[in-house]
Amino acid sequence: MIPGKYRSVSGRAANNVEFKLNKDTSSFPGRLLQHDLERNYSSRQGDHINLVSSSLSSFPILQRSSEEKILYSDRLSLERQKLTVCPIINGEDHLRLLNFQHNFITRIQNISNLQKLISLDLYDNQIEEISGLSTLRCLRVLLLGKNRIKKISNLENLKSLDVLDLHGNQITKIENINHLCELRVLNLARNFLSHVDNLNGLDSLTELNLRHNQITFVRDVDNLPCLQHLFLSFNNISSFDSVSCLADSSSLSDITFDGNPIAQESWYKHTVLQNMMQLRQLDMKRITEEERRMASVLAKKEEEKKRESHKQSLLKEKKRLTINNVARQWDLQQQRVANIATNEDRKDSDSAQDPCQIDGSTLSAFPEETGPLDSGLNNALQGLSVIDTYLVEVDGDTLSLYGSGALESLDRNWSVQTAGMITTVSFTFIEFDEIVHVLPKLKIKFPNSLHLKFKETNLVMLQQFNALAQLRRVDQLTIDPQGNPVVNFTLWKYYVLFRLSHFSMQKINGTEVTQNDMIMAERLFGILAHVASSELPQYRLISILGDARKKQFRYLLESKGKKPGIINEENNDSKRLVGENTNRATLNYTTRDFYNEKLEEIKEKKKFCKTYIEDLVKEATEINMKNEALQKLWPQMFIELVRDAVIEIRNKNSYMKLCLQQITDQK
Amino acid sequence: MLSPERLALPDYEYLAQRHVLTYMEDAVCQLLENREDISQYGIARFFTEYFNSVCQGTHILFREFSFVQATPHNRVSFLRAFWRCFRTVGKNGDLLTMKEYHCLLQLLCPDFPLELTQKAARIVLMDDAMDCLMSFSDFLFAFQIQFYYSEFLDSVAAIYEDLLSGKNPNTVIVPTSSSGQHRQRPALGEAGMLEGVEASLFYQCLENLCDRHKYSCPPPALVKEALSNVQRLTFYGFLMALSKHHGINQALGALPDKGDLMHDPAMDEELERLVVRSKLHRTSRQHRAKEPGAFGFQRREKQEALERVSSASVPTPYHYRWEPRE
Repeated sequence: MIPGKYRSVSGRAANNVEFKLNKDTSSFPGRLLQHDLERNYSSRQGDHINLVSSSLSSFPILQRSSEEKILYSDRLSLERQKLTVCPIINGEDHLRLLNFQHNFITRIQNISNLQKLISLDLYDNQIEEISGLSTLRCLRVLLLGKNRIKKISNLENLKSLDVLDLHGNQITKIENINHLCELRVLNLARNFLSHVDNLNGLDSLTELNLRHNQITFVRDVDNLPCLQHLFLSFNNISSFDSVSCLADSSSLSDITFDGNPIAQESWYKHTVLQNMMQLRQLDMKRITEEERRMASVLAKKEEEKKRESHKQSLLKEKKRLTINNVARQWDLQQQRVANIATNEDRKDSDSAQDPCQIDGSTLSAFPEETGPLDSGLNNALQGLSVIDTYLVEVDGDTLSLYGSGALESLDRNWSVQTAGMITTVSFTFIEFDEIVHVLPKLKIKFPNSLHLKFKETNLVMLQQFNALAQLRRVDQLTIDPQGNPVVNFTLWKYYVLFRLSHFSMQKINGTEVTQNDMIMAERLFGILAHVASSELPQYRLISILGDARKKQFRYLLESKGKKPGIINEENNDSKRLVGENTNRATLNYTTRDFYNEKLEEIKEKKKFCKTYIEDLVKEATEINMKNEALQKLWPQMFIELVRDAVIEIRNKNSYMKLCLQQITDQK
Repeated sequence: MLSPERLALPDYEYLAQRHVLTYMEDAVCQLLENREDISQYGIARFFTEYFNSVCQGTHILFREFSFVQATPHNRVSFLRAFWRCFRTVGKNGDLLTMKEYHCLLQLLCPDFPLELTQKAARIVLMDDAMDCLMSFSDFLFAFQIQFYYSEFLDSVAAIYEDLLSGKNPNTVIVPTSSSGQHRQRPALGEAGMLEGVEASLFYQCLENLCDRHKYSCPPPALVKEALSNVQRLTFYGFLMALSKHHGINQALGALPDKGDLMHDPAMDEELERLVVRSKLHRTSRQHRAKEPGAFGFQRREKQEALERVSSASVPTPYHYRWEPRE
């Protein structure tokens, strides 16, 4: 018989059979469709039925005693009759309730004449297809649970349908029910549904049971204006986004998600509560005020966290883009330089350089990452119309500079605290020659920087390391092989140790510096230092060492030792430097540009010197010539002089007169 | 000194031959550059120092390439300086690439051109893979030839090219050379099959080259000796032979013989002193932070060392002496 749940108030109230058809949903107690349906609610015994097989057709014909017909004129129960087909039912055209539960019926047939049928129960049969119902226009309750139905179809004429039970079938898709505008209860539990949509048109639906399916997302529920109870237990829902339409359904008050992956998440309860403020019951438990409050608090926290991480990822992305940009510019620059170099080389006949090789080696491998960004992130980044060409980053104790523009940032007003904390300075994509110019600034502004890192800075000569000597102190040095060809040299580490021996470095490129390394460095290059200091004439020593050191020397020259009492930092510094460093101090590095500039300046002087010397030489040669000429002519001249004199004096008297005459003339 | 040939030369030519003017010009230039510093201790003193250093061969240290290359004496001094400074690298047995040798050269002469180093490397490697490692002595001797005789080598290269392509420069340019005229150019087919050029013909051309040009070239007799063993030779084979020839090396006078290349007892002694000093310095530095009292004797020693160095390193104007005299 019809379970009490489906009773409605209408017409006749026979025994304990009532048939409710009102739309008042509150009369429905808690769960509607369960395996309760499978319970053997006692069918009324006593339906005396005779099934007579007719010879005329393959179907058995049903016959009831007229007594029965009068007693139960509107209902017929054929439960557990081992029926394999629907029998022909004659003379019962006013039947309203028909029960075929627990049989083996495979097709719905022979009931098209029962046009007054209101409830048809075919629970637990073997029906494979919904058919044969097209004449049952009054049908309100159709129970097809536990069959083998694969598709919802052929329900077009059942416009008055109130309850449709299709649980325990093999249905994969919700379809062909959009016209059922009076449907209040739809049970699709234990089917093979993978998603929920196509629910529009079910304007009266109050209960939807989708338990035990394989549902991953739910749509269209917000198109159900009356839906109050939605059971999604034991499905495959893992995020709230896949059921986001539920938030828009104002009528929903009762929902179950237990048995879904989403229910295992830490954020499950408060996310659901926060998004569905209209909910009164979750997973069959009443929602308390406390819970709601907690939910909103937690949701706010989540929001904060998301915003924060969004910001972080935005920042990171910006940083990455900037670094990529800097890298690209660096590569272009290197290629340009390489092209110029190869052009010059091509002019020489001797060069055997392969230009392709150069290009290949300067291109750094930077994959163009276009990984999956959030759509939000993408939108935000559209706003970054100008991407920087350099990046300055302070991360705890590390100052990272990317791109030559970053060097200007050293001029900024760094707070003493921040500057004092920096122990590592890292340079990337900056020409070493440019870094050389800012090293004094580095020394002053970041006194605690002890570890220097260089990557892609074009360190090509050992000489360049000489420039690092001007710093106060370096404990660690890291030269990344990428972009620094100097690392390929066998002796580079020893040279660094040698030139910067006064720093007593601890580590180079991560490896500890041992006493043996230091000794080896000294052994390899010690003579260079000795030659550089002892064999240079003094004026060269002084001119090479430059102004600062000049002052030191002068100071020491004057004092001839340590002057007690005058202790300021510079003197200490200089003393220390002088003591430890002099023989290396002449090994300096002037950047190529400066060097060429200097040579240009000297050209003028050279020209002048040349002309000056030429003049001197001319003078000297003239004098020499004159001297030689004099040498040659002198004997002759001497003889002539003597001859003239003798001739003059030959006649004493006339000579005396001549002399007197000369004297009087002179007056 | 007062030989008749010397007096026979006109003044200007004599000066030019001895490159006196180059040094004079350079001296005056240096004077102008460092006016303020030199005025401290007098111009006469400056000139003394300058020409002393020219004699000693230290004038080319850290100077620009145009000066280093200017006179044969400069070149010899440079070679010698390079040898003395980096002999230890060779002694250590490291094999270095051309680029690294170039770096070392640049330590002494900041704008030394890469070309020259490349050419020198080509001699060692026989124009083969340029990334190969070379030993110190190989490179040094090849570099000596390349650097000292660079102009000569350029002309030789031109001659070689001509000979290879079948032209005999002698027949065209120097008609008076008797032996050159009668020599027919080798049949093109022959030149193609065999490598290089015929040694004797090559030598003839070189001899003429030496006669014709002023700049320094190796003594022809020695060149003949180098070529005596071979029938045919390639350009780089010839250069390699030159670089390995002891006689030429001695004639240049810059570097010791190959066998003695790693020996320099005076410098080694100096080096030991430096190494010991650095050892002391390092250990005392490490101990400095700890108990100063317990290692008092070490610190004292270091102080002494410091004092010694500091006073020695600053030559006072009239006491131009280095404490550890080499």
